[in-house]
This record gives sequence, structure tokens and C-alpha cells, in this order.
Amino acid sequence: MTPDGAIKVFSELRDLQIFDCEDQLCGICDEVEFEGEPSQPLKVAALLVGPGAYRGRLPGVVFWLVRRVAGDRITRVPWSAVEHVTSRISLNVRAEDLGLGREDRRLRPLIEKVPFA
Amino acid sequence: MAGLIEIVLGIMTAVGGFVDVSELTFAAQAGSRFGYSLLWVFALATVGIIVFGEMSGRVAAIAKQPVFCLMRQRLGVSLGLFTLIASIVVSLITCAAEIGGVAIVLKLMAGGAYLIWAALSVAALIVIVWVLPFEWIERLFGLLGLLMLAFAAATVALHPPWREVARGLVPQFPMHLPGGDRLAYGYFAVAITSAVLFPYETYFYSSGAIEDRWTPSKLPVNRLTTGVGFSLGSLLSMGILISAAVLFRPVHVDPREPATVALQVAVPFGRPGLLIALFGMLMAFSGAAVETCLAAAYSLAQFFGWPWGRYRKPAETPRFTLAWIAGFVIALALVLTNVPPLDLVEWSIVFSIVVLPLTYLPLLLIANDRKYMGRYVNGWVANGLGVAFYAIVVVAAVGAIPLYILTSGGQK
Repeated sequence: MTPDGAIKVFSELRDLQIFDCEDQLCGICDEVEFEGEPSQPLKVAALLVGPGAYRGRLPGVVFWLVRRVAGDRITRVPWSAVEHVTSRISLNVRAEDLGLGREDRRLRPLIEKVPFA
Repeated sequence: MAGLIEIVLGIMTAVGGFVDVSELTFAAQAGSRFGYSLLWVFALATVGIIVFGEMSGRVAAIAKQPVFCLMRQRLGVSLGLFTLIASIVVSLITCAAEIGGVAIVLKLMAGGAYLIWAALSVAALIVIVWVLPFEWIERLFGLLGLLMLAFAAATVALHPPWREVARGLVPQFPMHLPGGDRLAYGYFAVAITSAVLFPYETYFYSSGAIEDRWTPSKLPVNRLTTGVGFSLGSLLSMGILISAAVLFRPVHVDPREPATVALQVAVPFGRPGLLIALFGMLMAFSGAAVETCLAAAYSLAQFFGWPWGRYRKPAETPRFTLAWIAGFVIALALVLTNVPPLDLVEWSIVFSIVVLPLTYLPLLLIANDRKYMGRYVNGWVANGLGVAFYAIVVVAAVGAIPLYILTSGGQK
């Protein structure tokens, strides 16, 4: 992969919607984790999802505020779980197997108590 | 046949849902103060909302991207987050203005206290949005909002001087007016542009297209809904301006209150006309309150990648559901502070236009990206119009706050 290609992969993965194998929206790719050694090819290791991944993407004060409001949790989606990338990222596993969408699963029982939910 | 019914329903819904409390009050005030001379601004802004509405529907159908995902991708997280917060603030202020409008209409129809009607209407809207799926919500308020056509009928019945009306469609700037009035004219021009191009309309329309699972086969529906539906809706707004110029301008009445605007229908059609106008306003403002609140929740969910949508049951989208309920509660809290609803209308108008450039830029960029859009990428007409209207929106955004301050919200 040429350096141009690698940079393109990075810029085109970040901020894409992630859908699991059941076509459920389960997050946005907030950051990309790479692995590799100097003089070795750089590889995408994982996609990072969650407010903690904004560190480095937001000004310090703004990140501090975001962390106060939303926490700094990060969910790591291994690159091997990615089925394909188009205008969105499709996974080959279920969201809950990776720990994505945890908040919704926690809130669902509360909502379900209301009629017509 | 089913396709034709869908197109007709889509157009009718777009017409019925076009006018909200901001357009109603600003159109009436503009007509009363400047006669027909601001009609051209309505016509111009309508072309703008058609261009960007069509673009947002096309992007939703082809790239399957709602507006706030695009915003994050194209503006980055920092600027995207700023736009998100500003858009949510504007949507909630607008929602509060619409709730205020609903409460005023209910008070006019049934008496009672304004604040109690505001609380009851929010409770009713929460139940409606909780129980009904997206399509029904859209159709319910859009179709009943067609009662607002009483205003168009009233315009015809008032026999305006059509030649003068036609002259109002020619772009102009009244240099003959004193300096203060010229500034107020500029303020109303910016406010009308903002009211027609409200950002929540694009968020809601594009999110609706994704909820409806649009594919390329829906592009003709998209074109007709935006082209015909928005044009007819805008004609209705222009009718309100024309009637105000006929009725209120000669007697120097300032129709800031929705109740005064309703008189436009009462004069030619009497009590039945007044009731139809009030019921139409009730449905139009309620529909706009729902749209603004859902637009705020859509924005939040799309930016952070939460499951969202009103085609799904509330339990399937817990964070999105809590977001729109919280939106209604915050908007109601704003109304309960007893801020005059017309102040809320003015704030929403001024701040909306400031947010618009950040909303439309990512849309314009992605609609031009062949990698996402393939053969449905912007043609030269859409691009030319898109860039031209983007420039207009930027100029209006720069001028909005100074004009608001200099004219005290158009009152000087």
C-alpha cells in the first residue's frame, strides 16, 4: 500500500457509521488504531468507538467537558471484525459481542415498562 | 397508482407542513410594514430550500447518509460538535416558539391559561410521538395542516392588486425609505430567508428519507416533493404576506400576534373561516414543534451513532427516545419561564441563519463527491444554484445578528 493509500484509508474510516452483522447501527468510528514498527508497513489494528477516543481530536478544554458529560469509555473494534467499508462500515459480528451499544441495552428495560414501547 | 398516491401525499404533506409560527408572523409583519416589496425574498429563498432539500433527499437515498453524519465527516469532530450544539439550541428554541404558538391558539379557541395549555400540548405531543410511527406523524400534521390553505383562499377573496403583487416579485431594495426603515427591510429580508431555509427542515427531511429507506427509485418523488410541495407551501406564506399588505398596512396594524394574523381569514369568511384558520394554525404549529424536537434528537443520535428513528419502537432506540422527550421538556421549560413566544420566534430566526452555512456546506460537498454519489452526483444546475444560495446564506448569516441588534428585532 502506498503512503497515499494509507492516509486515505485513515481519513475515510474516521467518522463513518458502523453497522453490525444484523444491520443495526452501533456507533461511529471515532478514531483508528494502527500497529507497526518503524520501517515496517503500518496496519489498521482496530476502530475505536466512544467519547474517550476524542482525545487528540478535540481541543483540551472541550475534551475535558465531553469527558465530564459522557465519560471517557472506548470500545475497541478489531479490524478482523470489519466485513467491508463503503459509505459505512459493516461488521461481521453482532454489536453486543464487541460491547457496542451497551448504554441502549442498559436503558431498554426502563423504556419497556411504558405502554406502547 | 400506489406511486401516484405516494407522490400526492408527499406533496400535500410538504405543503401542509411548510408554514410554521415564524413564517406566519414574519410574513404578516413584512406585508403590513413593507407591502408586497419583500415577496421576491420569499420566492428566492424558496428556490434555495428546494435546491438544498432535493440535495439532502438525494444524498439520503444514494449515500444513505443523514446530515449530521456528513457534518462530522466533512467538518471534523470539533467544528461538527460546535454545529451540533448550535443546531440543537436553535431547534429547541424553535420548538419552544412553536409550543408557545400552539398554546396561544388553544387559549384563543377555548380560553384558559396560556402556560397550562403549553404544558398540556407538550404532554399530548409526547404521547402522539411515542405511539405513532414516523409516517403517521408526518401525515397527521402535514395533512391537517392543509387547513392553512384557508389563508390562500382568503388572499384571493381579498382581491389584492395583482399587478402590484407581481411587482413585489422583482428583486428590489427600497432606497427611498429612511435609513432606519432600510435597515428594518434588510432585517426582514434576512428573517424571511431564515424562516424559509430553517435548518431543522433539512435535518428532518433527510432523516425522514432514511427512515423511509429511500433508494434511487425514490428520486422522482424527492424532486416532486421538494419542487412542487415546497413551492406550493411558499405560495401559502406569500398569500399571508399579501393579505397582511391588503388588510393591515392601510390601518397601520402590526400583526405580530398569531391571533391578529388569523383575522386575515375571518374578514372574508367570518366565524367559520376563523375557526378553520385557527385549527390549521394549531396543526401547523404542532407539526413544527414535533419536527423541531425530533430534528434535535436525530442530530444528536446521528452525530454519536446511536440507533434512531420513529419507524422503530421506542424501546429499540432508548437514547434517541430519551433525547426527544428531553427536547420537549427543555422546550416547555423555556416556555414556562414566560418569555414572550414572539421573542422566541425572533431568537430562533436569527440563530438559525447563523447555523445554516455549517449545515449546508457538508451537504454541498458530499452531493459533489462522485465516490459517494456515483452518477447521481450534482449536475451543473444543482451545483450552480447550490453555490449561489450558499453565498446568499453566508451573507445573510453575517448580517443577521448586527441587523437584529440595530433594528431591535425589526421594531425600529
